[in-house]
Amino acid sequence: MQKRIVSAVAGCVVMLAAMACDNSHITALNNNPNNPTDAPAGAVFTFAAQTAAHWVGNGRDLRATEFVAQHVAEVQYPDEDRYSRLQGPSTTSYFDDAYFQELQDLRKVIAKGQSEGNPAIWGPATVLQIWVFENLTDIWGDIPYSQALGGDSTGGTLTPAYDKQQDIYTSFFSRLADAVAAMESTDSAGLGGADPIYSGDLTKWVKFANSLRARLAMRIVNVDPGTASTQLAAALSDPGGVFASNDDDAKMPWPGDGVYDNPWADNFKTRDDHRMSKTLMNEMVPFDDPRVPVYAQPVLDSTFYPNGYGGMPNGLNADTAGTWFNVASRPGVIFYPGATSYGTFGDGSGLHLPTYLMTYGEVMFIKAEAAERSMGGLSPAEAATDYYAGIQASMDRWGVTDAAAIAAFEAKSGVAYTPGIPAGLNEIAIQKYVALFGDGTQAWAEWRRTCQPVTVHAGPNAIVSFVPRRFEYSQTEYSVNAANVATALSQMGGADNFATRMWWDSNPTAAPTHTAACNEPTGP
Amino acid sequence: MDARIRHALFAAAALALVPTVLAAQDVLTGHVTGEGGAPLPNATVYIQNTRLGGIAGSDGAYRIVLPSGEAGQTVTVIARLIGYRERSQIAKLTQGTNTLDFALEVAPVQLQGVITVAEGQQVKKSQLGTSAQAVSNEQLTQSPNNNFVEQLGAKVAGVQVTSPGTQGGSVAIRIRGSASITGNNEPLYVIDGVAIPTRDRGSDANGGWDFGSTISDINADDISSITVLKGPNAAALYGSEAANGAVIITTKHGANTDGKIQTHLNTSYSFDKVGILPDFQNLYGQGAGGQFSYVDGLGDGIQDGNDQSFGPRLDGRPIDQFTGAQQPWIAHPDNVSSFFNTGGTFEANLAVDGGSEKSNARMAVGVQNQSGIVPNNFFHKWTSSLAGNLKIGDKFTTTASLQFLRNNGLNRAGVGYNAGILEGLDVWFGRQVDMNQLRQHYMDYNQFGNRYNWNSNYHSNPFFLQYMNPESDTRNQYIGSVSATYRITDWLSATGRAGGDIFNAQSQQDVASGNVSWAGAGLEDLAYQGAFNFYNESQTDYSTEGLLNATKDLTSRLQLNALAAVGEHQANYHRNQQQTQGISVPNIYNISNAAISPTLTQFDEKDQTNSVFGSASLTWDNWWTIEGTARNDWSSTLPKGKNSYFYPSVNTSMVLTDALPSLKSNVLTFLKLRGSIAKVGNTAPAYSLLTTFDGQSTKFGGQPLYTLDDALANSELKPEITRANEVGFELGLFGDRATVDASYYSRATTNQIINVPVSPTSGFQDKWINAGKITNKGYEASLNVTPVRALGGDFEWNTTFTFNKNNSRVDALTNDVQTIVLGGSWYLTEEARKGQPYGALYGYQFLRDPTTHQLLLHDGLPQLGPQAVLGTVQPDWTGGWNNEFRYKRLTVSGLLDIHEGGSIFSVTNFFGEYTGVLASTIHGRDKDWNDPGLVIKGIDDATGQANTTVVTAEEYFQSLFPIHEPFIYRDSYLKLREVRLSLDVPPNLTSLLHASQVQIALFGRNLWTSTKVPNIDPEFSTQTGNFQGVEFASLANPKSFGIQLQVTP
Repeated sequence: MQKRIVSAVAGCVVMLAAMACDNSHITALNNNPNNPTDAPAGAVFTFAAQTAAHWVGNGRDLRATEFVAQHVAEVQYPDEDRYSRLQGPSTTSYFDDAYFQELQDLRKVIAKGQSEGNPAIWGPATVLQIWVFENLTDIWGDIPYSQALGGDSTGGTLTPAYDKQQDIYTSFFSRLADAVAAMESTDSAGLGGADPIYSGDLTKWVKFANSLRARLAMRIVNVDPGTASTQLAAALSDPGGVFASNDDDAKMPWPGDGVYDNPWADNFKTRDDHRMSKTLMNEMVPFDDPRVPVYAQPVLDSTFYPNGYGGMPNGLNADTAGTWFNVASRPGVIFYPGATSYGTFGDGSGLHLPTYLMTYGEVMFIKAEAAERSMGGLSPAEAATDYYAGIQASMDRWGVTDAAAIAAFEAKSGVAYTPGIPAGLNEIAIQKYVALFGDGTQAWAEWRRTCQPVTVHAGPNAIVSFVPRRFEYSQTEYSVNAANVATALSQMGGADNFATRMWWDSNPTAAPTHTAACNEPTGP
Repeated sequence: MDARIRHALFAAAALALVPTVLAAQDVLTGHVTGEGGAPLPNATVYIQNTRLGGIAGSDGAYRIVLPSGEAGQTVTVIARLIGYRERSQIAKLTQGTNTLDFALEVAPVQLQGVITVAEGQQVKKSQLGTSAQAVSNEQLTQSPNNNFVEQLGAKVAGVQVTSPGTQGGSVAIRIRGSASITGNNEPLYVIDGVAIPTRDRGSDANGGWDFGSTISDINADDISSITVLKGPNAAALYGSEAANGAVIITTKHGANTDGKIQTHLNTSYSFDKVGILPDFQNLYGQGAGGQFSYVDGLGDGIQDGNDQSFGPRLDGRPIDQFTGAQQPWIAHPDNVSSFFNTGGTFEANLAVDGGSEKSNARMAVGVQNQSGIVPNNFFHKWTSSLAGNLKIGDKFTTTASLQFLRNNGLNRAGVGYNAGILEGLDVWFGRQVDMNQLRQHYMDYNQFGNRYNWNSNYHSNPFFLQYMNPESDTRNQYIGSVSATYRITDWLSATGRAGGDIFNAQSQQDVASGNVSWAGAGLEDLAYQGAFNFYNESQTDYSTEGLLNATKDLTSRLQLNALAAVGEHQANYHRNQQQTQGISVPNIYNISNAAISPTLTQFDEKDQTNSVFGSASLTWDNWWTIEGTARNDWSSTLPKGKNSYFYPSVNTSMVLTDALPSLKSNVLTFLKLRGSIAKVGNTAPAYSLLTTFDGQSTKFGGQPLYTLDDALANSELKPEITRANEVGFELGLFGDRATVDASYYSRATTNQIINVPVSPTSGFQDKWINAGKITNKGYEASLNVTPVRALGGDFEWNTTFTFNKNNSRVDALTNDVQTIVLGGSWYLTEEARKGQPYGALYGYQFLRDPTTHQLLLHDGLPQLGPQAVLGTVQPDWTGGWNNEFRYKRLTVSGLLDIHEGGSIFSVTNFFGEYTGVLASTIHGRDKDWNDPGLVIKGIDDATGQANTTVVTAEEYFQSLFPIHEPFIYRDSYLKLREVRLSLDVPPNLTSLLHASQVQIALFGRNLWTSTKVPNIDPEFSTQTGNFQGVEFASLANPKSFGIQLQVTP
């Protein structure tokens, strides 16, 4: 009896053990029920586009480059405006996030489009990806590019090398040309509604690509005028053309639904840190620029600005900055979400205000400069027309309709076009700087290239005595890609600080607009 | 050994009883039983103040023949056995047969006696080749406390416990250090044989609510005993999760009471007071640059949007304030402390149990009501349990236990930057603010037409937050197990066991209209009238096991113990969250009231492990034991076909005083040596093999959104392996009046499955890989001494000391990676950095002159320097020292916790200096806001000469941001954790209550802390995870003082 029980129990145990041994099937439990391993190109593109549009927005722009460009100044806890919170630790996420967020997603869309042989998918994704890469290299200089984003591909690296900025620009030109050619010759269906920028209209993506190519060409004019001229000519003469009106602008229309809001308006919901910079306002108020009431709100206390509008100096201490709270203008109500935690400003349309990636107006200023410089097949005689077209495009964009006021403004000395170098170029640069309000990254890059306005200087309490020429590299990269960071710094020939100049900024004296004021002390 | 001692003692007792045996017929008899009614052979039973006594036999029965004349006497009868708590009962002896049964509770095992290493597996501690330490119920319930885990700290050597920074918060526990780089470093908890996961429901220094880990919900009163198995050596049989050690919990199942019902009561009430608060300055009020004037608290006045205290001197001058125009500008030194209330904690535990030889059961309920030290805060806990044993025939035994645990909280104090009031109070709070005005008017508007609040730019009135933005949470947990054992023969038994743990938790944050820090909720006339965030999670864990157990004397001197088993463990987890930034109708916190499309998230996870395991041990002549264990696991989360891993262990123990009796003397009474080598495997987290796209519930203008996940999966993952060695000795001196238990251990975890950071430029933030090695080596010891036993046993002094020293080192990561970030706050990171102890604090130093190492100053101010390792969170050593003095029925005890070294980053100090609220920021503005100013010692970066530039205190303290160096503190402290004064009510009163013991005690907790860390409680924990060592606005452990009543039947 006992033996039978023993063997029965032993038998059970063996059976259980045998069941336990058939254990491969349990790995089926590890199929992820939450997330797919593949996703539609359109859904990935939409996500990437709205993430990318945050460049001109909340963190990277409104709380970083817009201060450096001195479009705005910081009235409370002015750590960014003093550049102390623009040091490596604070800007690390701006660099890192771009790569593993929008750039990687756009790479996935490009790969999907290419595997389907559909330029209507990979073309727009390529143009948008180059736009993001351009923002990155213009802020940091040499960056990972040719080896970047390949972490999951066969033979890909987890420690991409940093490409020279010059090589990156070369690649930009050729990739844009390829994308344009492919988009111009396809009948494939595009991204449609999944493309929040152009709703899948490839003719507009072609215009954006050509316009971006023109921007890139002009950016390198001080260091490689030959390529700049060739690329400008190619961009302007492409059959698809560049932006021809404000309708062509590359812009992200925000749903304004409380989740996807304009990033400036989103920031302004709870933060009241921004005032107009004296630097920008001094280029507008004395000329009765009719955009002033759009860009800025009237001051609440007219002690300093009896005419109602004015900016505050950049780079002050907390105590001195605070004194400007009501005597300097807030940014215009069109940028505000309506109700905020500190008051109501405007009607809330700021939540929907599109973010502009690139505008027709900027293209007109590029053309005006090219013309004045006799580049890209243009001649100086065309410069004035393009210059005024740029101003008019900006007025239209910001909803300024008072033709008389615009005419009066354009007639003012200092605004009325003065042909010639450097006078004309200076005026183009100033008006471009004013028109770029809202895109600090471009305004800062243009200031470094043109030194206009010459009044951009580090504030009295800035932690360095000069305006940064670049940002410091990501702290993450120092811990996981240090050797390549070191190579990048030796490539650029400087330390990892605000002073080191990137390739297109390495020959300032080549700029016809160059002034001694721009040759500020370089480095701590 | 047992048999020999038993015979010897029997002989002695028999000799002692010889005269009476001849003379009398009256007897005292009964059974001595342990947990679950199991007989306790060898227990001694004797009548106090007589020489009368007896020894229990193998069935637990004892028999004392009483001399004539004893009948009619009322006597105290005492039963004792090593490893069990002594028990006394009062009996009035009668003629004939007197019956008196004893049910003994497990007491902490020093050297000998039995110890539970697994459900139903009690082994003699002397035969254990690994380090294990038991904690008795008595040790856990002496001082009422929310959390039994917290009690293990100073009581078990090798265990490091960090108490929570807020009420009901997480207790971080580490046994012999942290071995896993990014994985779990908490031990495994096993309740009545069923492994249950503990879930970190904590927060971190960056903000949130710390709900505490679920294991803490178990009522200490329901616990019979706890055995802490230290490290993988002792816990190899429990599988992967025991690589960090295991805490084996045996719950009470009732005792054999011959059918009588017994009622136990343990109740207490304590007062709780806020613990350590920062040392604030009271010379300067809110503002900047020495200026302040209130208009709306938004910046429209003079510096009134500013929330720092570098304003005008608090000299009584009239200044416009939120309380009215031209109010005297004076300090309110107690403004922060007056925010807090005296809290109260009421706790009552009632249990009934009883049983016979065949069955026994226990039912218990416990209630804890806590009104917190912050306004409108309470915490309620309910525990209930039912457990019992049933014998069917003489071969079949069944046992079952079920616990239902529930707790809910309202307005737990949030920690960190984003979740609550404490950051506002500790570092951003104007020193002139009158807290009572805020309290009285939190729903009102002031005469300026603005919300009655000291600052409306960044802060809501703290009372508004507490009353209008309630955080609320509930969690329910069911833990149950059933098991049946069939004794096949006298040496072989089979057991089947099934158990599970079902858990669900909800938390909710309501945000009322008028809160300044949530989007769109700032003003009453908004489209959005508030916001909410709902969070729900649930998990079920099921385990089943089949075991065969053999215990056989192979020869008269060789004994075999063997175990073979199969098991299966399944876990299902579900989480969902709904939040919106705006609602339509005020005060309705329902998803249908969302004015902004709510963001919905959902996550489900399933995994399973199948196992085959076994062990065999041979004991020679009762003094030498060798044991081997082996386990093979199959995990669902590893690649198909490669999901199996095997791990063995071997250990041995030798009782030298038994092997060589000549060693024994009056001084040396016991000496045991032990050693063990073990290996434990561990599996990968679920879903780490394939990279996926993540979707978003909120559509972009109607368009769906997907983004590639930032973590790069790895389809080649292999199991990770921990190897551990330990040696130790146990020593008994002077008749075991002094005992020492000491171990040296080392363990190394290699091939770790870590989500290692990769260059973000690769398109990913991190990647799952097998890499890295962490080594932990250390010593641990516990010393128990009874230095004084005098006055015929009436006076006794017991002292115990535990000591842990653990050295951890990250030996290797990958070729590319020098460090892995475990967590970070304000640009400081806690890291596993190659060559450093686990948990290196990596942050910014001052910029220094390379030759003189003096600070390199710019315009008289310090500058941000390079990053460096500024410390480690690992302490040099920790210890606990407990002293107990007993005189007759009066006992006084005190427990000191000692924590030596390790470093912390205090964000409270980091921002407290930035904002000028701390007393330390008076420096440089002693006379007026910019007078005399500060000349910082250092080199001017322009001149290269010694600095002579005078700066204001405001400029200096704000220039420190974000330099971490001055805010890293050596985390040494000495804490008087517990003090207790107890009185056992005299027996004649006790017997009126039909109780065996009634005890009244006064107790205090956290009454005194000695530390050099300024302004904060140096002990804080906000989660059980690996991000430790960064403090921010943690609510210091409250000081408690209370009274307790315990009635034992």
